[in-house]
Amino acid sequence: MRLIQLLAINTWREFLQWMAWRAFLITMVINQAVTPLLGLAVWSAALPGRTGISTYYVALLVVQLMTVSYEHHTFANGIYSGEVSHELLKPQPVVITTLGTNLALRIWHLLVGLPIIIVAGLIAPLSFELRLVLLAIPAVVLAAALRFLFTYLLALSAFWMQQAHGVVGFGESLIFLLGGTAAPVMLFPEQLRAVGEALPFRAMLGLPAEIAAGSLNGAQIVQGYAWQCIWLPVLALAAIIGWRRGVRRYTAVGG
Amino acid sequence: MALISVQGLTMTYQAPVRQAGLKAAVVSLFHREYRAINAVQGISFEVDAGEVVGFIGPNGAGKTTTLKMLSGILQPTSGEARVLGCVPWKREPVFLRQIAMIRGSQPIGGAGELTVLDALRFQQLLYEVSHSEFQRNVAELTEMLDLQPLLERQVRALSLGERMRAGLALALLYRPRVLFLDEPTLGLDVTAVRMLRRFVADYTRTTGATMLLTSHYMADVETLCKRIMLIDKGQLAYNGDLAGLAITNSPYKVVKVAVADEAQPDWSSFGEVVEAEEGKVALRVLRQEVPAVITRLLAELSIADLSVEEPPLESVIDQVFREGVVRCA
Repeated sequence: MRLIQLLAINTWREFLQWMAWRAFLITMVINQAVTPLLGLAVWSAALPGRTGISTYYVALLVVQLMTVSYEHHTFANGIYSGEVSHELLKPQPVVITTLGTNLALRIWHLLVGLPIIIVAGLIAPLSFELRLVLLAIPAVVLAAALRFLFTYLLALSAFWMQQAHGVVGFGESLIFLLGGTAAPVMLFPEQLRAVGEALPFRAMLGLPAEIAAGSLNGAQIVQGYAWQCIWLPVLALAAIIGWRRGVRRYTAVGG
Repeated sequence: MALISVQGLTMTYQAPVRQAGLKAAVVSLFHREYRAINAVQGISFEVDAGEVVGFIGPNGAGKTTTLKMLSGILQPTSGEARVLGCVPWKREPVFLRQIAMIRGSQPIGGAGELTVLDALRFQQLLYEVSHSEFQRNVAELTEMLDLQPLLERQVRALSLGERMRAGLALALLYRPRVLFLDEPTLGLDVTAVRMLRRFVADYTRTTGATMLLTSHYMADVETLCKRIMLIDKGQLAYNGDLAGLAITNSPYKVVKVAVADEAQPDWSSFGEVVEAEEGKVALRVLRQEVPAVITRLLAELSIADLSVEEPPLESVIDQVFREGVVRCA
């Protein structure tokens, strides 16, 4: 209960903080929206008349804005600047601040990105089914958790090197290529599709959009959720180990 | 009873080193070499509840490293420490709720776009300060630190002195029992320094908080601390009261004399002249010779004013660091 309260406090604080950077937020949202919109344009042209594709990419745009993670800017920069020392003195787990920033940024991305979503929805032919949209909501939550853990894990590399931005950038490229932005995983060649479905990148981004767009049957939805549930503890455990080792190194070499 | 207890605390950093040049750079990719930097070497001390202790030393002596270990930011290589009965580097919430560390170089961390009042509200929620206590403490801190003009301003737009005032208010809002102040007057103007010293003295007196203070300004230490610890090259060189430092480490006293007439005596026959201007002189005199010198001065000259003082703290400490004269109390 106290953790939830702390998370709410930190999210509130970071929401206020980012309100002051609204112009920067607009550029961030546009950056995040570009790739799903590009996918929408390219794949709508490649497969004309398929409403499923445009529905998928509009859903992907929403998922992208709701799962966006910038721990290489927020958390990793705090390690480089020594700001994390302030966090170590607070009577709360350090990750709470990072998570609060993450949630605040996602709320802002959704709010600022809403006009883009509406315009995309008006232009592209869509066919959403309420039942499937509701079915996709838990997948969005899990995807958001997975993407945070993945980015946070890569950002922890800042404890050992000065190039955490590059490490996270590489991870972002993998999400772009294998997560369903460059191409929907359902359109991958058959052998690659099996790999794409099993890797965590689709679980972080493409899966909720596929469910909402009606691209998956019941068994495939269950399988998708199963992969999310498998990757969640794996990434969580890796993040916990990474944090413990990182903070041990930080507290051993100087704050 | 000791609130802070330190036994053999040691911090050794492993700093990567290599020779200059391309060959050495390539070799270092495969075979990294490290050099041990002994920041703190087996120091031991205790601080009782309510004590205000100055932690003095030259740059790189290990002051800040020690404070960081005691506040839980750094984990020592070896040794033990207990603050409020807790091992600091375990960073248990019960410990973190009762301490505050304020660094002059970075008085406030976190969201710079928030106003000072927003930041105070965040502290209230983080440290679970009740509404009534929050109101009372904010009112008190606002008066003591002249915070009213700052409350509605964004933290990032504050000057260094204003940041320090706001940082103190944020740190003291939850009434920590132990304060670690690391160079709190760094870069502040004279007025801000005076205000800060007065505030810290009032705060520790009224709340009974225990404080460990590092500073390069001896006036900070003389104003606030009865006891000091000198640290040099990671080792404690002195641990005792201020007066004792001068007595044990300086064999001299300073005798200041002003003559009533225009006499121009040979001052060097009384002691070493350290300062001289028309009709006034400051003499460095061996402690045991002070009574005899005063007797001679009074007998031989027409004296308008005479005082005997301990040598300035700066010069005593400088002597300790330069000459390694160490006499722990």
